Parts: sequence; C-alpha cells; structure tokens
Amino acid sequence: MLVWGGIAGLGAAAFGVLALYRGESINAAWLLTAALCTYAVCYRFYSRFLATRVFGLDDRRATPAERLDNGRDFVPTNRWVLFGHHFAAIAGPGPLVGPVLAAQFGFLPGPLWLVIGVVLGGAVQDFTILFCSLRRDGKSLGQMAKDEVNATGGMAGMLAVLFIIVILLAVVALVLVNALKASPWGLFTIACTIPIALLMGWWMKQWRPGSVGEASLAGAVLLVLALVGGGYVAGHPGLGGAFTQSGVSLTWMVIGYGFLASVLPVWMLLAPRDYLSTFLKITTILVLAVAILIVLPQLRMPALTVFTELGEGPVFAGKVFPFAFITIACGAISGFHSLVASGTTPKMIARESDARIIGYGAMLMESFVGVMAMIAACILDPGVYFAMNTTPAALAQASQLLQQAGFVVSPAAMQQLAARMGEQTLVARSGGAPSFAVGMAQIFSSLTQVLGGRAFEALWYHFAIMFEALFILTTIDAGTRVGRFMLQELLGHVWPRFGQTSWYPSVLLTSAGMAAGWGYFLYQGVTDPLGGVNSLWPLFGISNQLLGAVALSVGTTILIKMGRARFAWVTLAPLAWLVTVTMTAGWEKVFSPDPKLGFLAQAAALAGSAAPNAGRLIFNAHLDAGIALLFMGVVAVLVVTSVWEWWLVLSRRKPPVVHEAPYVETGYATGD
Amino acid sequence: MSRPDMPQGTEREGGRGKGEGAQPLPTRVTRVLRRIIGAPDYAAYVEHCRRAGRPPLSEREYLADCFERKGQVARCC
Repeated sequence: MLVWGGIAGLGAAAFGVLALYRGESINAAWLLTAALCTYAVCYRFYSRFLATRVFGLDDRRATPAERLDNGRDFVPTNRWVLFGHHFAAIAGPGPLVGPVLAAQFGFLPGPLWLVIGVVLGGAVQDFTILFCSLRRDGKSLGQMAKDEVNATGGMAGMLAVLFIIVILLAVVALVLVNALKASPWGLFTIACTIPIALLMGWWMKQWRPGSVGEASLAGAVLLVLALVGGGYVAGHPGLGGAFTQSGVSLTWMVIGYGFLASVLPVWMLLAPRDYLSTFLKITTILVLAVAILIVLPQLRMPALTVFTELGEGPVFAGKVFPFAFITIACGAISGFHSLVASGTTPKMIARESDARIIGYGAMLMESFVGVMAMIAACILDPGVYFAMNTTPAALAQASQLLQQAGFVVSPAAMQQLAARMGEQTLVARSGGAPSFAVGMAQIFSSLTQVLGGRAFEALWYHFAIMFEALFILTTIDAGTRVGRFMLQELLGHVWPRFGQTSWYPSVLLTSAGMAAGWGYFLYQGVTDPLGGVNSLWPLFGISNQLLGAVALSVGTTILIKMGRARFAWVTLAPLAWLVTVTMTAGWEKVFSPDPKLGFLAQAAALAGSAAPNAGRLIFNAHLDAGIALLFMGVVAVLVVTSVWEWWLVLSRRKPPVVHEAPYVETGYATGD
Repeated sequence: MSRPDMPQGTEREGGRGKGEGAQPLPTRVTRVLRRIIGAPDYAAYVEHCRRAGRPPLSEREYLADCFERKGQVARCC
C-alpha cells in the first residue's frame, strides 16, 4: 500500500505542476507521469473493484471460447496475445487526430479528459460490454440491446451504428484528403500501398495459401521502398506533377477506392492491408512511446488558450465545454469500441478474469496513445500549430485573437518548415494528421540524433503520414463493407433478394449507396470554406458518444437485472456525463446564434449571399442540423426506454430476466 | 476471482496445449503474431480438429471462411 500511495502521490504532484505552472514551456515528463500514475492506480484498484465486486468474474465458469471452441472464431487465447489483438482492433486514427484538434484549447484540457475520462468512463464501458458479451456467447451490442432492454432499444442501437459508420468514414476520409492534397510524396506512398496489398493478397491466397508471414514481410519491405521512392517522385518534374492532386480530385479517388474495396473479395485488398496496418500500428506506437520517454520534449503550447472561454477557435468553433469532450472521443470514451468488445474479442477470452486486462487495460493503452498525440501537437510552436490547422477563411476571422495571444508565425518560417518536411506547403493543412506528423517527425528525428544519426525529418514526416493513412484506409475498407452488409439486411426486409450478401446486383448497389453516403459528407467537408473539420468532426464526436451512451445504457440495464443495482453508478455516472455532453454539444451545433458554430445560424447568414455555392452550403447546413437532431433523438429514445426498463425491474413490475448463457464449469482447472 | 490451481492463461499459443509437445520458438512466435493481427492459422486449426476428433475443412475452405468473417468486422476509429 505504501508503494501505491507513493504512485498516487507522484501522479497528484504531476497534475499539480501541470495545473499551476505558467512558464514558457513545460516538459512532457509531467504529462506522462500524471497519466501513467493515474492508469496504474486505477487499473490496480478500480478495475479490480469492477472485476470482483461489480461483475463478479468467475474463473470456474467456462467462457464461450472454451465451451464453443471451434478453432476458428471461438478460440481460447492467451491474455497478452488477445490484449494485442483487441488493442489493434480498437485503436484507429481517432486517438491520434482528436487530441491534436483539441490542442487548440491548450495542453491541459485534452489530457485531463483523456486520463479522467478513460479511467472512469471509456475503460469502464469497454470492460462492461466485454463482460456482458462474454456471458452471452459473444453476442453483439445490438443483439444485447434487443434482448436486455427491448426491441426499440435494439433498433436505436442498430440505427446508431449505421449513422456513426457513415459520419466516421466521411471524417476519417477528410483527414486523409487533407493530409495528401498537394503532397506528391505522401500520395505516391499511399497509392503504392494498393498494389502492395493486392500482391500480398495474391501471395497468401493463390500463390502460397496461408503464408501470411512471408506476404507481410514482402509487403513491409515494399512499403519502405515506396516511402523512400516517394522522395524521388516528389522531386521529379513530371511524376511530381502527376501525384500533386487537389482535395476534390482526391475525394473522388477515395470514394472510388472505398467502393472497390467493398466490392472486391476480402482476401484481395482488405485483409492484406489490415495485416500490414496492424503490424505498423503496434510497432510505431511502441517506438513512439519509447522515443517520447527518451527525448522528453518540451510542450510549447500554453496550458490554456484564449479559445477555451471565447469559443471562437480557428480549428473548430465552440468552448472547452462541451466541445473538448466531443472532439476527443477515442482515447477517452468511444462508443465504437463496444462493437469490438461485443465482436471478436469475447469469443477468444480463455478465462473470465482475463477480461480485466483486455477490456479495461487495452483502453488505458489507447488513452496513452491519445496523450502521445497531444504531446506531438503541443511540442509545435503554437503559431505553427494554428497556421497548419486553420483554413484561410477561419484564419482571417481569428487573426486578431491569434496575434493578441502571440500565436503568430512568419510565412518564411512556415515555408522553411515545409521544405524540411519535404512538402510544398504546410499552411492550412487542417484535419490534425499533418500536425501530428510534424510533431512525430520532430520526436523521431530528435531520437535519431540522440542515437548519433541524421535527422531524416522529411522521411519521418512521410512515415507518420503513411502510418496514419494506412489505418484510415483500413477503416474505410472495413467500414464501407460493414455498412453495405447492414444496408443489405435492411433492404432485405423489403425485397428478400437484396438480403443475399452474395447477390452481385445487391452488392454493387448497396456498396455504391454506402460510398455515396459517406462520400457526400466528405465532398461537403472538402469544399467547405471553413474546413470540413469544423462541422464534421463534432458530428462524428456526437455520434460516437451516442453509441457510448447506447453501450452504457445496455450495461446499466444488465447490472440492474443481475441484482447489482447498488453498483449501477459505475456505468450511470459516465452515461449521465455522455448524455449531458452530447445533448449540449448537439443543441449548440444546431441552435447556436453564432454562424461559425450553429448550423441553422450558418444557413441563415448565407441566405442573402450572392456566392455561387451559397445554395449548396445552405442545404448542407440544414442537412447537418438534421443529422445532429437525429442523433440527439436516438439518444433520447434509448435513454428513455432504458430508464423505463430499469423502473419496471426495480419496482418489481417486471421480473429481472437476464439472458446469460447457462453456467458450465471450466475444464481448465483439472489440467490443460 | 481465480482459483490458485488454475493456469492463468491458455498455453496453446505456445503450442503446449492438451498434450502437445513444445513447438519450436519460430512457430510459437509466428502463431502469436498471426493471432494478434487476426490472420488465419491453418496448422493450429488442424491441430484443434485433431484434438476434438472432428474432420477439418480443407485449407482453401478454411481460408475462405476466415476472410469471410474478417470482412464482417468493422475496424475502430
């Protein structure tokens, strides 16, 4: 207990320094100490409390992986292996991009939410849903909502998933387009990943079936060659021009790619890209963590900026509450994780107690990725950060505030930075990915210099872009395909033939429908004069948190039905917070009188405009308002139906029937 | 939470499950990596079927099944 008291004291001291220090810069070590100590203490005590007292995990109870072991999807798996698998499935571009965008409020609000949000909310949600699914033979969140809440809850859950996929794909594709526009090096490298993935697919399916290791190794070597070759292409007069594309043309390419990836067989493109990106993701994150711990860079962003209170930030509009909590979803609490926690993972858990490290622990790891992204953004000069993340229109609106705060940078300095990174320009490269890449390049080049090598800043910058782009494309591949299946299922109720997932007219039409759905929002974002991040990222945050509210409502219902109502606060507290944040942010995004913030005010401000695209912008603002209201409506329906169900059970008007799989004693205790 | 006489994790990743002799280190490492990235592992599947006394699918059928399931799983944001 003395040791744990010391760790807790150290974490509290680090938080104190972060909160009170007001110098020019502060070392990232304080942020890392505060985060790591909090994770350690909460994992040791809070997750143990959840495991033993709240859920009552029982290792004598055989898990679905043991009872239904078929050597394919139900496979008992070592806890550390499954930890890696689960972490790779939950970690995507979200924890890298969200914290970078939220850095406009300063270095303090983002990490506070990342750390406090994860230990009391995000990790609890993941652990709860994993536990619930584990006790129900690996059932999905939608199925559990239907079984344990009611059919309305189940339908709300399914709608939430479909909408979140559309907005998610649009927003991650926007990040990708903003990172690759006017970047021949980046575009060449990412374009090369498509033939590389196709080659890998052919290798492990046709040429040498099952040779995933060989194909992945070949893919990794080719990826490095593509990265290095990108530098040559960018400097070549003819090739450089061919790979320099505008945001709009990249938009059409990404939409076409999403459609093709959804239509092609999984082994051809989706699976090999997924293997490659998973290897790269885990390796890079580990190396980045080690590099930050060795370099311990200085954070140059102040603790709080003027935009926390004023709400007129040039990166996105809105005050720190509620928008910091919407901007950072993945890393603190992400509803999307509940799909993974009720997907493949519960079918692979060997013992119930393993759910603690996998459900709670992997989410802490993702939060740490978010903290690293925040560090990467905050080591940049604030002037550089705002110049990169702001569109010219937004920069003009916020220029006075930026000058007053001293967040200015000369055009010459920006040009010099772009040249060091091997880019034509870094001004107005919004979306978060380029800022993260510059920060990561600076950390990695500091590391290579510490180790006695050269800086290689341009190479590291494009490595970081490739690292982010690879798993954004994986998200687009998989998301379009999953959305296609959902559309086929829905349309199958109207015309049964459409429900056949192998009927090609249905495959083509639903894939096109899905790609057109997210593609429309992507196009809207790319052509938005204020930058699509300002409108799309909050919508994504709201939809993701909405799914979190769905998951926590289902978790609370199950706890109450299990006779654990006295512990229901563990899920009720984060649920109440999420509902408050989602509703407040949604209300402000729709009804705020500020045209930079409110969709309806934006439409009204454009009403008299003679601009040629005013009509389209007005339509988009109304559409975004409708989507936000729809999200809020779905949250309201689900919360009300859940509360009704709790009241029925607690007032004994309805028997507390849980739909758990029957208890079976494990066979592992007698020797494996 | 857990009984002291229980092994704290399955040992099958290392190829030591249910009467198997220890697998060579490269095989064990490959199996762990395959499992982490969610890649198919036909050899492990055949071993499983042999232990369970069930006829295994052919390698092509097994791979087709694995890829089919992979295509139905969303990657997180």
